[in-house]
Amino acid sequence: MKQVGIIGSGNVGANSAFFIAENGTASVTLVDIKEGLSAGKALDISEAGPIRSYDTEIRGTDDIQDIRGSDIVVIAAGRVRRIGENRDDLYRDNAPLVGRICADVRRLAPDAVVINVVEPVDMITLLAREALGFDRERVLGIGGLLNSTRLRFLISSMLGVSPREVSGMVIGPHRPGMVILRETVRVSGIPAEKLLAPEQFETAIEGVRKAGDTILQMAQRSTSYYAPSAAVAALVEAVARDTRAILPVSILLKGEYGLSDIAVSVPACIGARGVDRVVPVEMSADEKQEFLSAAAELRASLQRVAAEAGGDSHG
Amino acid sequence: MARRKVSIIGAGNVGATAAYYIAEKVIADIVMVDVIEGVTQAKALDFLHAGPLRRYDVSIRGTGDFSAVADSDVVVVTAGVPRRPGMDRMDLLKVNAGIVKSAAKSIALYAPNSTVIVVSNPLDVMCHVALRTTGFAVRRVIGMAGILDSTRFRYFVAQELRCALTDVHAMVLGGHGDQMVPLPRFTTVAGIPITQLLDQATIERLVDRTRKGGAEIVAYLKTGSAYYAPAASVAEMVEAVVTDRKTLAPCAAYLRGEYGIENLFIGVPVLLGKNGIERIVELDLDESEMALLRESAEAVKKGVDELDTFFEVR
Repeated sequence: MKQVGIIGSGNVGANSAFFIAENGTASVTLVDIKEGLSAGKALDISEAGPIRSYDTEIRGTDDIQDIRGSDIVVIAAGRVRRIGENRDDLYRDNAPLVGRICADVRRLAPDAVVINVVEPVDMITLLAREALGFDRERVLGIGGLLNSTRLRFLISSMLGVSPREVSGMVIGPHRPGMVILRETVRVSGIPAEKLLAPEQFETAIEGVRKAGDTILQMAQRSTSYYAPSAAVAALVEAVARDTRAILPVSILLKGEYGLSDIAVSVPACIGARGVDRVVPVEMSADEKQEFLSAAAELRASLQRVAAEAGGDSHG
Repeated sequence: MARRKVSIIGAGNVGATAAYYIAEKVIADIVMVDVIEGVTQAKALDFLHAGPLRRYDVSIRGTGDFSAVADSDVVVVTAGVPRRPGMDRMDLLKVNAGIVKSAAKSIALYAPNSTVIVVSNPLDVMCHVALRTTGFAVRRVIGMAGILDSTRFRYFVAQELRCALTDVHAMVLGGHGDQMVPLPRFTTVAGIPITQLLDQATIERLVDRTRKGGAEIVAYLKTGSAYYAPAASVAEMVEAVVTDRKTLAPCAAYLRGEYGIENLFIGVPVLLGKNGIERIVELDLDESEMALLRESAEAVKKGVDELDTFFEVR
């Protein structure tokens, strides 16, 4: 059985553990600095097992040493975005924490595939890749996969069809400027644009861009965590079972789509070693333009925070 | 909510394996009806014995009594004989038309509100027999063919690209097997059309293998033909109707002008839900795709015309 260490036992960490338990793909160690939190949630998840018919081993601990030798490490620590908050501010708070966690992961689980959920996800994924010093294929962020599952849901509910047959790829930065690849939005292979009125399609796209904010506005005190946790569990399953699923994940680019030294979501084939390969996908001229301008915005953010830190700039 | 009931007429390999897949989904009680008694009861009992290990607890019954289909939500018709040496096409058509007609009479009598899924071959013609004999609304008589061709095509595409099966979706139209009209433009991996991922020659090779998918298995088995993938296709359709899942999938549907085709069962994309076929999706086909579909329709028309030479509804 593959071992997954989840760092951070908040809503995303604990629900990821729960979805992984239901999938039965790997045993889980939940870690949090808050004493007892991980042990309590792990026990609660384990006690649901007899009814939910899983027997996945879920442990909780306060000691990060317990992730030693993990095959997969999920970083779900730090704080979430507040209503109306600037992503740069969130980065300033979360970056030092993730830096410290990565130093531990590098030492304790040097062969792990690392999945980052900490926001702002593309900036933190880039930072984590540097701090870990791992091959870029082993450091992934969840942005595109989360936006894709939201898009697939919105399209299926508009059409009144089962979401199982709906595909749709969202790539680029995990920001409102994300890129929805229209050609990939399909139901059983049939383009959704043929099945929906044009204004419905645009509504779905706008809905995806604002999905995170919509949930934050509704819930007020918490951000979304079921869909993000489902994205984590899907990535864990792809790695643990070497499924070679094609999923959009945030990864450090090396010239793909004309970009380097920046992490954004692109379609990738995911297997036992993380990203097996980045999958090239055709974009319309408009989509290419959107992709590059969203990437430029992200790069500007990276340069701002790097300048403040007095460190070297990212490209 | 009342318990759902699915009946399967014909408990051979396809019928029995479909019963097993449906049992594992735990969505309905199951009745298998076959003229060969004993075997059917035995299979039902064997499935029930496996329940504690496989964690399904639906009722499964085998019988030779056609009245057992009473009040089914869905009835699957798999009954029929395979073509034997010395039998020509017309002989097969006659024998199976008789079998499907008698099954359809029972369905009309005992399960007048059911949705009928036809699996017997030649498929498109047997759908006609079922429709005419039951007198059901056209949306409640559906043929299983496209889902099977499509699952085979999906498997071949995933193998070729070494990617996860679940990411691949495929659309095929037309008749079953030789008459299939593959649509690579509407066949995708995580939404990306395979025309972006595979070259033309490779796509043609995979299409050809799909067309001959049934024959490839017959060649291995010598006697007998495929039943796991056909049964899985049946179970998918049954699940869509019983659970009102709204699945968009290729199935044989009675066309009344869609795609310029009148009064024939042809494989097209349909939305499956509790009312059977809830919508027929008309795709913008290019000229060569349309030509293949018309060819397919001609072949089905020929079979129906043959049927008309001997078939009477009563």
